[in-house]
Parts: sequence; C-alpha cells; structure tokens
Amino acid sequence: MSFLTRNIPRILVQASARNIHTTVNQNATAVNPAERPDTRVSCTLIPGDGVGPELVYSVQEVFKAAGIPVDFESYFFSEVNPTLSAPLEDVAASIAKNRVCLKGILASPDYSHTGELATLNMKLRNNLDLYANVVHVQSLPGIKSRHKDIDCVIIREQTEGEYSALEHESVKGVVECLKIVTARKSQRIAKFAFDYATKNGRKKVTAVHKANIMKLGDGLFLKSCEQMAKLYPRIEFERMIVDNCTMQMVSNPQQFDVMVTPNLYGNIVDNLASGLVGGAGVVAGASYSADCVVFEPGARHTYSEAVGKNVANPTAMLLCSAKMLRHVNLPVYGQMIRNAVDKVLQDGKVRTKDIGGQSSTQEFTYAVIHNLQMPA
Amino acid sequence: MACRILRKQPLKLGHNIIRAQSTMSAFEIQHKTPLIRKTEPIPVALYGGRNAVTMLPGGGIGPELMGYVKEVFKYAGAPVDFEVVEIDEKSEDNDDLDYAITSIKRNGVAIKGNIETKSESANVTSRNVAIRNELDLYVNVLNCKSYPGVPARQSNIDVVIIRQNTEGEYAMLEHESVDGVVESMKVVTKSNSDRVARFAFEYAKKNGRKKITTIHKANIMKLSDGLFLETSKKIAKEYPEIEHNDMIIDNCCMQLVSNPHQFDVMIMTNLYGSIVSNVVCGVIGGAGLLSGKNYGDHYAIFEPGTRNTGTAIAGKNIANPIAMLNASVDMLRHLGHSQHAELIQRAINRTVSEDHIHTPDLGGSAKSTDVVSRIIDHIMQDTRHW
Repeated sequence: MSFLTRNIPRILVQASARNIHTTVNQNATAVNPAERPDTRVSCTLIPGDGVGPELVYSVQEVFKAAGIPVDFESYFFSEVNPTLSAPLEDVAASIAKNRVCLKGILASPDYSHTGELATLNMKLRNNLDLYANVVHVQSLPGIKSRHKDIDCVIIREQTEGEYSALEHESVKGVVECLKIVTARKSQRIAKFAFDYATKNGRKKVTAVHKANIMKLGDGLFLKSCEQMAKLYPRIEFERMIVDNCTMQMVSNPQQFDVMVTPNLYGNIVDNLASGLVGGAGVVAGASYSADCVVFEPGARHTYSEAVGKNVANPTAMLLCSAKMLRHVNLPVYGQMIRNAVDKVLQDGKVRTKDIGGQSSTQEFTYAVIHNLQMPA
Repeated sequence: MACRILRKQPLKLGHNIIRAQSTMSAFEIQHKTPLIRKTEPIPVALYGGRNAVTMLPGGGIGPELMGYVKEVFKYAGAPVDFEVVEIDEKSEDNDDLDYAITSIKRNGVAIKGNIETKSESANVTSRNVAIRNELDLYVNVLNCKSYPGVPARQSNIDVVIIRQNTEGEYAMLEHESVDGVVESMKVVTKSNSDRVARFAFEYAKKNGRKKITTIHKANIMKLSDGLFLETSKKIAKEYPEIEHNDMIIDNCCMQLVSNPHQFDVMIMTNLYGSIVSNVVCGVIGGAGLLSGKNYGDHYAIFEPGTRNTGTAIAGKNIANPIAMLNASVDMLRHLGHSQHAELIQRAINRTVSEDHIHTPDLGGSAKSTDVVSRIIDHIMQDTRHW
C-alpha cells in the first residue's frame, strides 16, 4: 500500500513530463538531436557547515521520491575545515558551468588562520560576481508569528560596501575599515530591484540607506536608486533610513514590498525579517550574477549546535530547491514541492522544534514526500 | 614671492604635500561631484542567465502571435522573461508609447508586432516610426530565404535586405507651402548613410556573403540618393574582398521578380527598403514567413519582416505564426542563446518544409494552432528527459 501511495505521484509526474522542459545547457555546442545526451539538469551542490548536510539530504530524498530530473554535483566546501575543503576554483568552475547551485550556509569564523580578511563566502561571491541577494520573506501557513500576511522581498548588494575586506590598523589602537560604494554597482543593484519588481508584478521599491550620516557613500547609493527609479514610472519608489526601516519592519511589516539595500543593512534586515516569519529554518533566498544563481537559505545561520540531532527544519532548503526548479524551467516540480511543504505546515501535525513541534528532520521530510502531488 | 613660497614648499614639506594630494584624489572628486553621465549605458537586464525582454504585441494579429511565442518558449525552455507593454492604439496621448520606449531602453531588446496609430491628428506621429527614431534604430535587416516546400514563384532565394530605417522619405517633414502645393522632404545624411553601409559590409564579412548591391535612384535624385551611393562606394573600398555594385530601384524590382538569384546583400534608403522587402516576401511566399531585425548602437528590436497589422484576420486562428516565431529565434540568437534558437528553428523548418503544415496564406488549410502544436511536438521530441 505504502509502495503505491509513494509511487502514484511519481507515475503521474512521469506521464506529465512531456509538458515540461529543461533549459538546455548553453555552454555545450549544438549537437544533433539523435546524439544529444539526455537533457537532465545538473546542479552544483554545496551542503555547507552545521546542519547543512542533513538539510541537503532531506532535499535529495524529496527529489528522489518525486523523480526530478536533476543531477547534483556535490562539493564539500568549508572555511572551518580548510584541509578537506574543495578548492574555490573547482567549486566556482562547477557553478559557472551548471549555472545553478544549491548551497547550505558556510560558517565564517571570527578569526582568520592566515590573516586574510575575506571569508570564503565573500570569495565565492566575488569570484562569480554574485552581486544580488534576493530573500523573499513570506508568512507561511501554520507557523505562529507576531505578524500575518508579510510578503516582502529584500534585495541586497553583496559584493561591496562594508564587506570590502579592507581593514587596517593605521596607528596602534586605531582600526580603519573601508566601506566602498561605487556608482556602477549601485546602479546595477537598483536596476536589479526594479527589474525584479517589474517581472513579479510588484508595486513599490524601497531604498534602505543611511545617507543622512554617510552623505557620500550611502548618498551615492541613494542617488543611483533615484536615478534608476526614473526609468520605472509605473513602480512607486520610496527611501527609508535603515534605523527607521528596522522599526517599521517589526511594527508594520506589511507596508514593505521590494526593498533594495547596500550590503550590511541588507544582512541585518534579512535576518530581522526572517525572524518575523518563523526564523532561519523557513526562509529561502538566492544570489544572482549575470549568468548564475546560487540558491541558499535567506538567513545565514549554520545551527551548528544541532548537528547530528536530527532536529533542524528543512523547510528553507526545500523552498530553495523549489525556486531552483522554477529557475531551470521545471516549474511543475517546483510547485509540487512548494505545495507539499505548505500542506505539511498547514496541517501542523509534523513540526520541527524551531516552530513549536517535536518532530525530527526525517519525519518532516517523509511528511513532505507523503504530500507530493501533481498540481492541478 | 608667493609663487616662490609655493614652489619651495613641496621640497620642505614634501610629506604634507603628498598627504594633501592623496586626500584630494580622484576618489574625493568622484564623490563630491558624482559623475553619473546621462549617456552611460544602462546595465543589461540579464540575471542568473535569464534575459528580460520587452514585448509589444501591437494591434491586429499581434497579441495572438505573441501568445504562440510564449507557448513555444515555455516548451523550448528559453531563458527569457517577457515584460509585456500594451499600447492603446486609439489614445491621443503618448504615455503608453513613452513607457514602451523606456522599457526597451532598460531591457535593450524587444520583440514587437505592428502598432497601429488610429489617430488622424497631425501631431500624433506613427508609433512604429517614433520607436525607431527615439531608439535610433538606424538599420533594418531582412534575411529573405526560401522555405523548401512552400509554394512560391521563385525557389532557392537567399537575399539580405539592409535598409536605412530612420530618415529618407520617413523624415515626416511635410508642409503646404502655398495653397494646393505640398512639399515632402527626403532627408539623407552622410553620417547615417555611412553607418548603414558600414553595418552592411561588416554583416557581409561576418556572415560570409560575397556581394553587396546599393539600390538607389541617383539618376533622378542626384544629390540625396547620390550621397547615399557615394558613401557606400567609399566604404566599399575598405572591404576589397567583398564585391560591390549598384542598381537603380526600378530595375531592381524587375530583376527581383525575374532573376532574384543575382542578389546577395542589398542596401538601400528607407522607402525603397519598404518596397523591396515586400516584393521579395511576395516572391518567396508571403508576409507570414519572414522576420526582420532592427539594430541601433545600443538596442535591438525584432519583428515580422513585413510590417502588416493583419486586422482583417485577427481572432480567426488563421494568421501565420511563422514570421513572429522567426523573429523570436532571431532574438534568442541576438541574446546568445544559440542552442535554444537552433531548437526552435529546426522545429519550424520541419513543420513548414517537411510536414507541410501551412496556414491559408501559404495555400494550406491548417489553423495557426495546428502549426504551433506541431512545432511544439518537434521541440518535445528533441528535449525529452528520458
């Protein structure tokens, strides 16, 4: 019986697979249809640190059960375990080739073994120019939280600003940390935000800044956003100072639609907003370059205290994988996973510890698999 | 004295001077006077490998054809997101049009049906012309290639028509100087003629074409067409490997219907381009097959080759979808998604030339949807997962 219930969705998926097609790998040279290899999607996989590997295993279980035509290229990539980590070049090359990646969270230690200031995360982002981080913060059904109906998108520049890794001690006891803002990158992220709003039918873009204090740096960012806004007359544009923004976010988060932020503010607002809808375990995000997308949880926590305890919430990772499937032109599968996760959360019978339940990661995963259904 | 002090200071207080210079560096100047130049190109709308493209469905059969394009793209997995901008053809103001132009500036690329301008008032210009002028799309390229299996007067034609797209007879400068006398100006500029000719020769070089023919009427319009002809002759000298000749427009039309195979690449001014492209389309099987490309320095617009709205056949499911689909293939190629372009192109060719699924304009009896579903069948065969 259980064999049947598990396999019926799979059979349905296979029958309808003629309706969905994957994006063909563009790097490959054109081949004859007869000799074309099967057009499965390959995707780089970085499990990350902390509970990452457990969450990734959950995703793989779901993919296997749903029969999704995606092959993972897995890399162990870690800053806290540098001896075992795959070289940055290999990982970056794999992502550049596959153009999609599913990534857990990498732990960034507070100290540096080598004296180098840039973290592995930053190096990967800079190597691939993953400049735009998109976190879609959305109230999920069945998760208790202070606010209802939150639906905002936080777009963060993540290759410059405070994360320049340029710090030095000019005189003993005086450390200078450089925050770099460039017009080119500010315009690029502003345009990304407005294009995102246009594509997803959103109405408003809010630029988050602190230009009253950092008149030149954040001023340039703000000016670039204002300049871009002129090209989008049908989207409302507003500015908000970051301190006010965080207050508004916790008191009246429904007012926000799309937000565009420099690096550090984005990081803070991302985590703040994730906390509003249920924490680091339930919010999915993605980082975009011109050519590649890395799908990763929205709030950056490794949850290392739960390693091996089978208690982490795989929702964020599963939602990431659903977004990834939509991006590679397998939207039906993506919707299927999304619906199953929503159903499990809605029913509320299987909840992990972080959202007030007692179930394990594995139980949650099986509940999702059990609810996989072809969308009507 | 002051001068001497100033000149001395660097020697004495070299340390201070260097510091002063470094604080007044380009960095500071940049931040105090932000140099965001207006002409700076806008960053391209390419995110995670997916391009954003403006879609202007236009009037008549435009919206249904765009629907087919989206359908085919979905099955082919083409990484393109469309931003659809509707232009109200009856409106007297130009709000929608301005928005469409802004949208194309942001995205850099557009696919477009024919936009009707219903207003009779003299200050509402043709919107098609307005878009081309505003975006400075100075050249229109129409690759006229016969489809085997399509009934036509001539077979095996492969001609490229390159047309000046923004000036000439389309300058829209007309006035009634005396009652009963209307003057219409044809404007030919050296710079635009130069750009078109250079584009044509570069195109020929890149695509392995052998010969370029300049089409003109310089025997009558000695100055205007004369300038166009002179310019192309001058450019031709820089490309000795490509043969160049010229032909008068009336003779050209006759040659096109009797012996079109003598032509390879043709360049001409605006109005002649319009006429010649329609002649060639008629010779090889009609308006429903070919796609045209409009290029400027920064932007590109793809559209069906002959600019007809097809209002009479709108909504009847008999419009030929091939022209718009070919335009979408051109667009994919322009964006660099060559494999998706090949995939769709192959499906189109098989449907038209091998399966002979033809809409009434090609003498067949198939519906538009029949053609599209056969194309999708071919695409699915090529992209199956298992």
